[in-house]
Amino acid sequence: MSSTPPPASSNPPSPPARSPEERREGYEKEALVHLDVLYRVALRLTGNAADAEDLVQETMLRAYRSWDRYTPGTNAKGWLLTILRHLFINEYRRKSRHPETVDVDTIEPFALFQEVQEEDPQGAFFDKIVDDEVLRAVDQLPEAFREAVTLSDVEGLSYEEVAKVLEVPVGTVKSRLYRGRRLLQAKLYDYAVGMGYIKGQSKK
Amino acid sequence: MRCRECVEHLYEYLDREVTPDLEAEIRAHIQKCPPCSEHFDFETLFLKFVRVRCRAQGAPATLRRRILEQLLEE
Repeated sequence: MSSTPPPASSNPPSPPARSPEERREGYEKEALVHLDVLYRVALRLTGNAADAEDLVQETMLRAYRSWDRYTPGTNAKGWLLTILRHLFINEYRRKSRHPETVDVDTIEPFALFQEVQEEDPQGAFFDKIVDDEVLRAVDQLPEAFREAVTLSDVEGLSYEEVAKVLEVPVGTVKSRLYRGRRLLQAKLYDYAVGMGYIKGQSKK
Repeated sequence: MRCRECVEHLYEYLDREVTPDLEAEIRAHIQKCPPCSEHFDFETLFLKFVRVRCRAQGAPATLRRRILEQLLEE
């Protein structure tokens, strides 16, 4: 521990050194509370529970080790998600079960509402689709869309927060969300028609 | 505001990412345009459906334990 007094400048002072107890308490209060979010995002990224658990555990360890660099009361969720995503890209993506083969620019726009407008404009068929099918549809999205949809639609991050985690401009987030949602709707529509929940129109 | 312009901002509006002025314009349009109103309600339902269905799962209790044990070793 240094005994040097803090510099009397107007620059923001570096945070005071925290005791191990304070450190741990802060971490539990601000980081551990996001465990469910981190786990769900990890699951969508890796595609399997074992890797998702390892990824989250490693993320939480790294976060704990660099906890002094986190400013209390700021956006811990975004900070943790950024760590998780970097770890995923560097150490897990290669073995993730989602191959990146879809050319995202060739995706045809599909508007679910227009397809079901006549038959089920209130979207009653949504209730018949089980959780696992929705998750499966999300998992089939190309990674760039899957990340955006998961962070925004599932976890409720703002465009700005999603942009920060994904390190892309807000405009990119908007377009990925737009196309990701349309693609997700197309998959759910095909499923619902296949199951006979809706008759659907003959596509194309 | 016309329907086309209104629908163009549909997701930004539902995501609460539009300026207060635009939000007021869109709300005013939806109130007097049943087709747009139905469309917006449908997309609202869709987004809520995705959120609820994909958030049902949380971290397993064993993972939480593993992480807490790991902290004690640090």
